[in-house]
Amino acid sequence: MDQFIQQFLTGLSIGSILLLVAIGLSIIYGAMGIINLAHGEFVMLGAYAAWFLQVQFGMGLLTSLVPIFLLVAAFGWLIERFVLSFLNNRPLDTILATWGVGIMLQQAVRLTAGGELRYVKMPEALSNSTDILGVQISLYRVFLLVASLVLFAATWLLMNRTTVGMKLRAIIQDRSVAASFGVNARRIYGLTFAYGAGLAGLAGALVSPLKSVSPEMGTGYVIDAFMVVVLGGVQSLVGTVASAFILGELSGVIAFLQNDTVAKAIVLLAIVVLIRFRPQGMFATRVRA
Amino acid sequence: MMQPKSIDPISRHRPSAELVAILLVCALVIVAPVLLNNDYLLNKVARYLVLGMLAMSLSLSWGYAGILNLGQAMSFGLGSYAMAMTLKLKTVPVHTGPQGLPDFMVWNNVTQLPWFWWPFESQTFAIFAGMAIPAAVAAALGWFMFRGRITGVYVAIITLAAMVVLNLVIIDQQQYTGGFNGITDLAQLELFGIAFDAYGRSTYYLVAICMTGALLGAYAFTRTKAGLIIQAIRDHESRVRYFGYDVGAYQIAAFALSAAIAGLAGMLYTIVMEFASPTFLGVQLSLSVVVWCAVGGRQSLLGALLGAILVAGVQGALSESATFLETWTLVMGGLFVLIVLFLPKGLAGLVSSLWTLARQRSFRPFRSLHRIGQTEGGA
Repeated sequence: MDQFIQQFLTGLSIGSILLLVAIGLSIIYGAMGIINLAHGEFVMLGAYAAWFLQVQFGMGLLTSLVPIFLLVAAFGWLIERFVLSFLNNRPLDTILATWGVGIMLQQAVRLTAGGELRYVKMPEALSNSTDILGVQISLYRVFLLVASLVLFAATWLLMNRTTVGMKLRAIIQDRSVAASFGVNARRIYGLTFAYGAGLAGLAGALVSPLKSVSPEMGTGYVIDAFMVVVLGGVQSLVGTVASAFILGELSGVIAFLQNDTVAKAIVLLAIVVLIRFRPQGMFATRVRA
Repeated sequence: MMQPKSIDPISRHRPSAELVAILLVCALVIVAPVLLNNDYLLNKVARYLVLGMLAMSLSLSWGYAGILNLGQAMSFGLGSYAMAMTLKLKTVPVHTGPQGLPDFMVWNNVTQLPWFWWPFESQTFAIFAGMAIPAAVAAALGWFMFRGRITGVYVAIITLAAMVVLNLVIIDQQQYTGGFNGITDLAQLELFGIAFDAYGRSTYYLVAICMTGALLGAYAFTRTKAGLIIQAIRDHESRVRYFGYDVGAYQIAAFALSAAIAGLAGMLYTIVMEFASPTFLGVQLSLSVVVWCAVGGRQSLLGALLGAILVAGVQGALSESATFLETWTLVMGGLFVLIVLFLPKGLAGLVSSLWTLARQRSFRPFRSLHRIGQTEGGA
């Protein structure tokens, strides 16, 4: 029983990290039809920003979260403004452009910060373990779970309860009609991309104490996060949450029985089979071309 | 999403210029050893030709069929491993364990040759498998994707993910695959009594002939009816579907053909480099292939091939100095973004539009003279 709970909690923890990384990707893809292959590099930037702020200014992880979000979001805005907005009707080319941007970011970080692994300290208050149902679990992992759910809730509110969100949803439904009602699509796209990038940066900062920080760390994340989006279905935030935790639990169990690599391979195979029969994802209620 | 794209006047009308260019390049490739009397240089050129072939295979699936395969290096790596496995089993016993067991298996306490290595005792099988396995994997992946009517962006990510996962599996299963180090210390390939030394002319000619064959074959394929249908699918998928064509089947076929060519290139790469490594199916290489294709021109087989030789050649020339190499990745990323933004058809597109422009210019005087003559005659 203990083992079962332990396993379940591990899965939850993996799922919360997946969710953190996937929300931004999902928002950007759902809203703009852009697969942002630089997403992993935004995650990496967030992690490096956390490391930099800690080493240079001695800032704690929690206090540096807001500046990191703003920093990476601003960066995302620039990318949208000066690269992606040129590619309005060429969705397949956005994937290439973001890939190119990602490679540049990776190399730029490698050149400036060095290729070696960096480590970010965990906040003091969260470095202990706690006892849940008789199982020891690190407080930080609990914090991550809460943080991922809070970010999800914030995103949901932003999308569904604010004017900006409403405008975004209008653009998703029909860009030209929305524009004729006076919605500035370019501005909204810029903001959306910035928000998605900012979320990626936050995700990077939040996972940085658990994983070592390196220029290549992004590649794995973007693929995992994309799996979450495919499984959850585009334009379905709730689907993203559900699939993040399903994949988290699944990876946790397979990794326990076999190892991480086998878990990744099996999850990928399952998703490839799934898209044959439900290309719109598990949780999407409607599909728009 | 379904904006009518600017339709390229499909190449059937202007075959001559491109075919002439292809034949010229092929001829140049065949006579190159006469001009280059340096084994090291010859090996280098052979390497670039193989990479060019890989880029050409991506152009077939991306430029012609509209299937952006970000994991093209997966097929390349599979081919490369197939060749490396059979050559490993042929190495002289010094490098191997008892019963011809590859050395890395001995180090990993594997006592018996695993079952999937058995058929590679036969070189004929390996050469067949080097193309058939990538093609079969692509066809299976394609069946799931194209039968599920997955669109461009999804295909790109799924192929990328498949490659990354296979790469992880190969590194992880060290006892059977050589893991991170790959498969090294290979025997030389022997075909029809000819030994293919990586630095010898025979290898260069093997590469040159395979490349020429693949290029001409792929070019011929794009001219067949199936080739035209594939281009039609790229331009307007549903319209082709309404005509009653089985779109998925054509896409799967193009995808598998492209994978088979990439597999052949992978096999040649093992012969030229004398090892196989997980980096052959790494993200880095796969990205490079896409960049080469984009630079050279994704919708031109020859353009992609030359793009690969050009970019890889420049990279090779710069790689003498380590700092240059590091900035190079940065430059390449930037170049790639710029090309995607402003020159989507790559250098081949540029050449082709300059060519039409030049021809229009040179023909205009005649045409107008002709017209003047007509009006005068009429008056």
